[in-house]
Amino acid sequence: MKKKYALFPGCLMPTEQYAYEVSLRATLPIVGVELVDLEGFSCCGEPMKSVNQFLTLYLSARNLAIAEKHHLDVYAPCAMCHLALTECRNVLEKNTAMKERINTLLSSEGLTYTGTQRVVHTVDLLYDDIGIEKIKEHVKKPLKGVKIAAHYGCHILRPSEIGRPDDSENPQKIETILKALGAEPILYPQRLDCCGAPLLANLPDSALTKTGQKLQAIQEVGIQALVDVCPWCHKMFDGRQIKAGEIVAAKLEVPVFYLTQLLGLAFGLSAEKLGLDLNLSPVEKLKLGEET
Amino acid sequence: MRRIGVFVCHCGINIAQTVDVEALTEYAGHLNGVVVAKHYKYMCSDVGATLIKDTIKEFKLNGVVIAACSPRMHEHTFRRVASDGGVNPYQVEISNIREQCSWAHTDKAKATEKAKSLVRSAVAKAHSLEPLKTSTLKVIPEALVIGGGIAGIQSALDLANDGFKVHLVEREPSIGGHMAQLDKTFPTLDCSSCILTPKMMEVANHDNIELLSYAEVASIEGSIGNYTVKIRKKPRYVDVEKCTGCGDCASNCRLKDRITSEFNQGMGKRGAAYMPFPQAVPLKYVIDDKKCLFLTKGKCGDEPLCKKACAQGAINFDQKEELVERKVGAIVVATGYDLLDPTAVYEYGYDNSPDVITTLEMERLISSSGPTKGEILRPSNQQKPKSITFILCVGSRDETQCTWCCRIGCMTALKQVYLLKEKLGEDIEINVCYNDLRSFGKGYEEFYRKVRGLHTNMFRGRPSEVRPMNDGLKIDIYDTTTSKLFEIKTDLVILVPAMMPRIDATEFARLLHLTLSGDGFFLEAHPKLRPVDTFVNGIFIAGCCQGPKDIQDTVSQASAAASRAATILSLDELEIDPLIAMVDEEACTGCGICVEVCPYEARTINERKRIAEVNEALCAGCGGCIAACPSNASIHKNFTKKQLLDMVDDIM
Repeated sequence: MKKKYALFPGCLMPTEQYAYEVSLRATLPIVGVELVDLEGFSCCGEPMKSVNQFLTLYLSARNLAIAEKHHLDVYAPCAMCHLALTECRNVLEKNTAMKERINTLLSSEGLTYTGTQRVVHTVDLLYDDIGIEKIKEHVKKPLKGVKIAAHYGCHILRPSEIGRPDDSENPQKIETILKALGAEPILYPQRLDCCGAPLLANLPDSALTKTGQKLQAIQEVGIQALVDVCPWCHKMFDGRQIKAGEIVAAKLEVPVFYLTQLLGLAFGLSAEKLGLDLNLSPVEKLKLGEET
Repeated sequence: MRRIGVFVCHCGINIAQTVDVEALTEYAGHLNGVVVAKHYKYMCSDVGATLIKDTIKEFKLNGVVIAACSPRMHEHTFRRVASDGGVNPYQVEISNIREQCSWAHTDKAKATEKAKSLVRSAVAKAHSLEPLKTSTLKVIPEALVIGGGIAGIQSALDLANDGFKVHLVEREPSIGGHMAQLDKTFPTLDCSSCILTPKMMEVANHDNIELLSYAEVASIEGSIGNYTVKIRKKPRYVDVEKCTGCGDCASNCRLKDRITSEFNQGMGKRGAAYMPFPQAVPLKYVIDDKKCLFLTKGKCGDEPLCKKACAQGAINFDQKEELVERKVGAIVVATGYDLLDPTAVYEYGYDNSPDVITTLEMERLISSSGPTKGEILRPSNQQKPKSITFILCVGSRDETQCTWCCRIGCMTALKQVYLLKEKLGEDIEINVCYNDLRSFGKGYEEFYRKVRGLHTNMFRGRPSEVRPMNDGLKIDIYDTTTSKLFEIKTDLVILVPAMMPRIDATEFARLLHLTLSGDGFFLEAHPKLRPVDTFVNGIFIAGCCQGPKDIQDTVSQASAAASRAATILSLDELEIDPLIAMVDEEACTGCGICVEVCPYEARTINERKRIAEVNEALCAGCGGCIAACPSNASIHKNFTKKQLLDMVDDIM
């Protein structure tokens, strides 16, 4: 049976991180996911949180209310959007006065928020909703012997008390998925370090130092590729890798993939279908799908 | 016709400030059957008691209602007062207008109305309270002590010295518990085994103590003064009568030095035939039936080498588990604690690096009888560390693990700092990451001051992570006293894990009908006034099974528990509370449901009469059978259906 989700694209994916969208649209239907595009989604609200928390809540609630109207669970591929929507669900579950206030505003659009729909991210969608067995069934070209480092990104792990897709201290779901694809996930000390993106606007050098240090550590131990699941993280590791290398004085050449891209490669899809040409890091370095 | 007196207590202002006691008294005086109502500031005082006694005589009362605090507090007091005045003590009814009224409310008018309802219903019940008589039970002057750590040892010795026979049950092959694993104890730095071993020897040699080591309690029946305990003795496969403790079996065992030693916290090795530690009591060897080749595979070379080596012929592979029965009058529970498995706090890397160890592992490293003979070596490369870092509160005071303070962590860490400086020289770098340093006991603060003078780096905060790097371990810590982020590079990390209830505490509590507090430790009957009693009469608790504590407090509590047990054991006979179950023989169908539900095994079926009966010595008055009986034949004395319905009718 098909599992149906409303795809909540967020802002970064449709405006610059096209590879994520291309690859998830190509791969998820293979494991029985039907993605529905709804009209009217806006920004999740998270970027406004430090200046106007109410606005953030309102925007998140509005987006959830749209999905609710269509009785669909929400799939947010962006870790930051996923955090905003989850946090909104948590706040409104406890704060009924806030829920009423927001519903009054939503009523002008004929929307109501009650909180019936789930919010999932790529990691728990694949691991919990689809399941490892189902993924294994579709692997045609296992990523045999490829040493891969997983980068979870902070937003899908914390804060743990509101419920995140994986454990905040010892997440294992991406590694388990990678194993199912035949790859060899490597645990490394910097695994849970931040990508640097949240600092990018105000302290760009500090941000790129974080990015560079992590990539450098990965490169030094001979890991062949980095996999991530958030457009912000990807923007740093993939798009700004050369710049980050300049900051930490290292020649960085780490291929960086979205998890959905590796999934597609293991499923036997072509590089083109997975938007690999849109990646800015040297993904061609990794001879994928070939026996090593 | 009942002549009831109502006595309203102010409890200072505890009741009087929220309940209008004068209005309440006035109201009570007009209730059906009430011939007098009085109020007084402290009804439980001598003056209050005299007031009640005099009033009983003056008005010829045959029923008394006291509107005061919870019956848990003073029911016993008021029963005695009524009895002195000439009313049967079981014709006293307590109306709880403090815990269940004045303390719970703020609106005086409404609280007064509620108090009136409560008193009204108590008076309704007082109309039909039966006079009851207490019966007596012979006390068995022997005690059972469960657990042979320092708490159990102390309780057993105290009771034995008081002249009572004591059965001490320990599930490990030797007594000694956690204390035997320690090197030195804070704050006096006494050598732990030097002060513990004499006590262990005393246990072994005491005429009044029967030591049942390598044994567990299987079942407990009966009640205060008369418990029947079944104890499961695990087979040692060594005849303790013949074993001289020479060690020939262990040194010849084919698995010698190949099995992880529990006593050394996994840091040393033993064989399948082993003695847990050199000072073990009893000084008898044991064969590990989960590891021994002969016992697991049925074959150990041509013949088991231990058997061949033993000149005494003490090895006996035919030993079987044995169930023994003992009858005792009182029980002291001293089952101790477990330490939190630090892998639960994943970020501190206990799983990821051999150089991350616990304080108990460090105790074994420091100990001269430990796996390194007292040398401090990094487990990863057997080199001396140049820098050591302690992380306190691992899982303690942590809402995701144990919310409580372990009470020994700070002082254990400080003690180890002192000992490590002594062993490795002043120049060794030692960092201590703490939350708050709690040096609360006698002499503790002074010890802390001494350690501060030893060039120790103190960081106040929780490290975010222990990260294994190529050249050691890295810790990031935000120090909240200086508001600075520090990066510590270190060779050896020592975690101070939280203190937890025993992993099987819940199961064990069910066996003894003990209650657990929210944290999973055994609950005392009152935190201040009955700190070693439990809600089961005749069972007392001591040591860390009740909650985290240091050796000082454990020993004090163990003596207290022994003393409370001796209070019972020194009596020839005990009075039994008559508020227990009885059977309406007309109504009983002999279905046996009450037999099934009774947790005290007090219910039996009389096959001849085909009805259920109550063993008055065993019945604890819990009410389980009353609720379960489908034919209303089980009756709780003075909590009859009529009495309770009368109360409900009047309260509505």
